[in-house]
Amino acid sequence: MDILEAAFSKIWPKKGGFWGPYLMLSPAILLVGLLVLGLAYIGDTSLRTLDTSTFLFSEEWSLANYERALTEPFIRSVIWRSILGATIVTMTTLLLAFPYTYIMVRTRSAFLRKFLLIALFLPFFIGQVVRAYGWLIILGKQGIVNDILGLIGIEPLRMLFNYPSVLFGLVQYMFPFAVLMLAPALTAIPEEIEAAAESLGASWQETMLYVILPMAKSGLIGAGLVVLTLSLTDFAMPAILGGGTQDFVANAIYDQFFRTSDQGFGSSLAVLLIAIGSLLVWIIFMLVGAGTLALGAKDK
Amino acid sequence: MNKVSAVSASNVCLQFGDVHAVKNVCFELEEGRFLTVLGPSGSGKTTLLRLIAGFQQPDQGEIFIKGQTVRELAPNKRSIGMVFQRLALFPHMTAAENVAFPLKMRRFNARTISDRVKEYLHLVRLEGLGSRKINELSGGQQQRVAIARALVFEPDLLLLDEPLAALDRKLREEMQLEFRRIQKELGVTTINVTHDQREALVVSDQIIVMNYGEIQQNATPLEVYRSPSNPFVANFVGVTNLFHGMLESLKGQQVAIRISQQTLLGTSKSENSALTQGVSVQAAIRAEQIRLFRGKSENRECEAYFEGRVTDVIFEGERILYELSVAALSDAPIRIIHHDQQDFSTFEVGEMVFVGWQSRDMHVFVVD
Repeated sequence: MDILEAAFSKIWPKKGGFWGPYLMLSPAILLVGLLVLGLAYIGDTSLRTLDTSTFLFSEEWSLANYERALTEPFIRSVIWRSILGATIVTMTTLLLAFPYTYIMVRTRSAFLRKFLLIALFLPFFIGQVVRAYGWLIILGKQGIVNDILGLIGIEPLRMLFNYPSVLFGLVQYMFPFAVLMLAPALTAIPEEIEAAAESLGASWQETMLYVILPMAKSGLIGAGLVVLTLSLTDFAMPAILGGGTQDFVANAIYDQFFRTSDQGFGSSLAVLLIAIGSLLVWIIFMLVGAGTLALGAKDK
Repeated sequence: MNKVSAVSASNVCLQFGDVHAVKNVCFELEEGRFLTVLGPSGSGKTTLLRLIAGFQQPDQGEIFIKGQTVRELAPNKRSIGMVFQRLALFPHMTAAENVAFPLKMRRFNARTISDRVKEYLHLVRLEGLGSRKINELSGGQQQRVAIARALVFEPDLLLLDEPLAALDRKLREEMQLEFRRIQKELGVTTINVTHDQREALVVSDQIIVMNYGEIQQNATPLEVYRSPSNPFVANFVGVTNLFHGMLESLKGQQVAIRISQQTLLGTSKSENSALTQGVSVQAAIRAEQIRLFRGKSENRECEAYFEGRVTDVIFEGERILYELSVAALSDAPIRIIHHDQQDFSTFEVGEMVFVGWQSRDMHVFVVD
């Protein structure tokens, strides 16, 4: 051990102390730096239009790609679909994840807690694409659900390749992220707090509304932000469960890069996606910052 | 019974698996009195409090508040204010919002709420601090917010679940007196749970000593201290010396017991039927009721008299705790509290001294 330490202190002399901690940041800075570099490149490309006759990009910068993205009805519907979808998915996921997490954190039964945890982690091992294909098998025309419905004489339903199926897949995919983000926030609320609220006259609904939810707010916001940004930029669920009819922005970007090879237009979509995501996050920050805390604001 | 008790319990039992958390608990508490449930951890005192608050249901027995059974009442329907061990203040609200919470939940007239919050913040001496967030208040101030919150809706009963346990000694003693003052001022019936015997003696009108889920003694502080009902109470409250022996003879309450070749006199309140010759007994005497002398002739009031060697001296400020080994009592260690600070007479480790006590201070209990 001493030899190792001696060798280490040769490489990293203790005396140059001031820069030491900053040096440790260097790998992270390198990574972020590369990302910024890539972004700058995308930003540059997004300002160049593709000449479809020569397949060359223009020398001059112009906003033509952005204009196209915001005016072309197909792209506009894709952007709108992504924003709406991400919002619905976030709301639904939080609504489902909150009681799940609450029960997982509060239950006295070790068996139930383990069961809920395992049920949460199992899908993580499967991966998004395989899971989406799983839904194809379950919900398809000849899928398990339609087989069962057939037994009681119901005609096969078309449950796939529509908007609800994409949202369903996304909620199912986002659920564990939301639970994992909420769990620490709910664990941090002592049970004594709930007993106190109850003894002070609050029903359990009032305890939830005025005590638990406000105290879990930071966790809800964190979970909401993660789910919102992940589902806004998701690719696999719209691609597989949407069957090409329910594209999100990420699918449109993919098409531009790898199908039509219009990297300029694809880049402008990418920049737009980043802008939309940042705007949504900013709106959430503003809303939450403005909302005064539960009880004081609700003076009857 | 011509007067209805503020709180009473009859035969309350609660079992967790094989463990009797609370066993056959019966007591009555008069309106406006301050009761302390005293016991070591695991004695069932907190469980008893949770049963009264309604967070737990008894397996057997009934709890009555103002003569009415509360079996069917959920905690939020009982008129009980509770101060929790870790206070359980709402961190996302200000002090005033915390105090206003029960008033809002209990649908008090909205126009009267802010006045009443002010009144109670004044009562706990926090006027002007209502707009502070909980984490902007000191530990003592948080205690006061918790008390105000538990009392503001004028509950029939106030429950204190060791809220002082985490405080440092000086603040704890200050808050004990504060609890006492507020309780007297409002006249609210109070049940306090603690493992701190000093606190129990200082604040209470009535003390229930518990162990293993059962009530050991239910009496006034003075009685609990002066005439403990069994060796457990004698040992738990105050510093007590316990001797094992055998009953030799008895005359009224006067008993003679045999402890390692010595015959000692003591008093017993056990029923005479239990006091038969040869039965094994425990004798208890408090550390401050034993006197210390340098010479044998110094004091003639003492009825028991032994020579012993000082084995330890612990200076505690206003008093000194001596530990002695007495050869005549098979080297049983004896602890003595010495308050005599007038003549600054102190003894050294290894010194031979004389100890003595009066036989009325020696309490004899039959061991089952």
